[in-house]
Amino acid sequence: MRRLIASVFAGALLFAGFGANAEEEVRFWFHFDNPDNPISQLVSKFEQENPGIKIKAENIPWNTYYEKLNTSIIGGNPPDVAMVKLFALPQLLEMGALHPLDDHIASWDGKADIQDELWELNRASDGKNYYMPLQYVVLYLYYRKDLFDQHGVKVPTNREEFLEAAKKLTLDTNNDGRIDVYGFGMRGAKGGHDHWATFVLPNGADINKEGGLLTPEAIAANQWFIDLHRVHKVFPPSAPNDGFKEITGGFKAGRTAMTIHHIGSSAGMVEALGDKVSAAPVPQGTQGAWTAFGDESTAVFSASKVKDAAFKWVAFLSSGDNNVEFNKASGQLPVTKSGSAEWTLHEKRFVDATVASLPFARTLPAKPQTSEFVGSSWPTNMQRALLGEISAEEMLRNIDNLYFK
Amino acid sequence: MGIRTASMGMTPRRYRRRLPVLPYVLLSPVVLVTLVIIFYPMLQAIWMSVHDYIIWKPQDIRFNAFAHFVTAFSDEVFWISLWHTAIWISLTVSLQLALGFAAAILLNQDFPWRALARGLIIIPWALPSVVIGLMWSWVYDPNYGVLNDFMLRFGLLTQSMPWLANPDTALYAIILTLTWQGFPFFAVMILAGLQAIPSSYYEAAELDGASRRQQFWHITLPSLKGVLVTAVLLRIIWVANSIDVIYVMTSGGPGYATHTLPLYAFLRTYTAMDFGYGSALAVLFTLMLLGVVVLYLRRAGRDVT
Repeated sequence: MRRLIASVFAGALLFAGFGANAEEEVRFWFHFDNPDNPISQLVSKFEQENPGIKIKAENIPWNTYYEKLNTSIIGGNPPDVAMVKLFALPQLLEMGALHPLDDHIASWDGKADIQDELWELNRASDGKNYYMPLQYVVLYLYYRKDLFDQHGVKVPTNREEFLEAAKKLTLDTNNDGRIDVYGFGMRGAKGGHDHWATFVLPNGADINKEGGLLTPEAIAANQWFIDLHRVHKVFPPSAPNDGFKEITGGFKAGRTAMTIHHIGSSAGMVEALGDKVSAAPVPQGTQGAWTAFGDESTAVFSASKVKDAAFKWVAFLSSGDNNVEFNKASGQLPVTKSGSAEWTLHEKRFVDATVASLPFARTLPAKPQTSEFVGSSWPTNMQRALLGEISAEEMLRNIDNLYFK
Repeated sequence: MGIRTASMGMTPRRYRRRLPVLPYVLLSPVVLVTLVIIFYPMLQAIWMSVHDYIIWKPQDIRFNAFAHFVTAFSDEVFWISLWHTAIWISLTVSLQLALGFAAAILLNQDFPWRALARGLIIIPWALPSVVIGLMWSWVYDPNYGVLNDFMLRFGLLTQSMPWLANPDTALYAIILTLTWQGFPFFAVMILAGLQAIPSSYYEAAELDGASRRQQFWHITLPSLKGVLVTAVLLRIIWVANSIDVIYVMTSGGPGYATHTLPLYAFLRTYTAMDFGYGSALAVLFTLMLLGVVVLYLRRAGRDVT
């Protein structure tokens, strides 16, 4: 009996020892709105193709994604690979958290298949590439084609037309003295800076330059945007607190006639509204147009002990069919030339609006402060301005202070 | 029995010499765990509060003495949050107490299905805060919310009201939510207290001709005092530190309308990644709360102990 126990014990030890030696584990953090986990199929495909590497994929809730990532880095225990956005790059670099991928990419055969401009967009300020493109979207205007036709409104191409359309489509449809449809579903909570930037930045406001937000033109543009809510009342009254769920939900439920979001929500919009929903590039400002380039990449962390295995996973996700599979699940657009050529997931009108918006798609300043701008500075200041607690100028001064003081 | 005889058989000297070691050995795991998971983070928070410590600037971490504390006192948001915290604690705890008291007295009556009612009342308390936050966000929603729907139907409102997006109502809307979440705690504590009062007190009072009201004031309340003081103390501390429901429902917005001090400390720490200033705010708040608790125990707890 004793011998039996001893041999079982030894066998178990041997087995455990083998496991530890033979397999490298790559911890991967991602965030997905879609609760069906598509990663598991990609993981098993990868593990079959790469025996000896195990992927431990963890879905981290989006609302606290960067808080968790930053604390894991400071705590000395970041994942090996994580999904990351460009606005976080300066901070991650400042923390020395990232591993440059240039050498790996140079010898990677999938390199030529990635759309060329994405390498440029992803390049860090020191000239190196730390990010591997994974998916992208561009924000555009969703509008209710049926309401536009019914009220004889044309799709707005500039601010004046936008205001006119929004006013005409703020409606009391059943004549009970209450507004049932609002012109524009504005996102006043975290994540709504893209709406604001579209209407303020291309009107003589430069967020990249000290004082660039404090020109008379910039202040006037911000005032114009605030007046949409305070004077013209074309946003739902809940706009200051509305987030992704509220703006897409409100639009799908027919409570708003326009909103701004990307192709990721098009399937849900079509499901709810069918042919009544269409899309167009966002209205222009006085100096061209601005819309947000929504990026998502993967990065390998410098603390990783399995960098080669980690890069294999990164490259796997961004190549050919795998990237297509990934984007089918995320509802965004593939980064490869081959994947884009035969892309059929989204209806054409939304792909067209995306492509037409690419020439003026921009990102926020590549500065460490952008995380705070997105996470707390913009929402708080915008909400206070929409509620009349601070002026248009004070709001811009606070943002200028964040970036330049 | 054998052990008892053995220890009783020890000489008093040996007994005294052996006693001090064992209790410390038995206590040490608890003390060790407390040191590691409570005192260490506490000391670290104090250390961070006297440093410039922005997490993405690891090269710029330096000692700054009390600069953060000085900044806090001239920080407009600090004062706004402090005022909200005062409203938040006093309103929430007193509403919970009132509602809990009423529920406990009801549940102490004899009625059919009493056991079931006692079980059901615990539900709000047992739900996770995030679920409560999301649920009540939908209740208050201006487009689909059941509250607006009722008020419009009964003519109490003419336009639907964005309860959480209006700075005048947002804080009170969340206070109502937290009241709903927390009153079962009071109900259960007070119910337990009520059941511990011997019925002979009431019988004696009845014989002496005391009215129901007199019985309540002279028997029920004094007998419950210990329970009430403890329950209120615990709730003050829990409510003061509770940020999850606020965070889920408004993230402190619109503007600063629902910022409480612990939430402000949390937001500075995790969205601005300013661990130094965030820790300073947390340390300041801890000191203030400690002051409130000491004062409270001095006044309310005087007769209890």
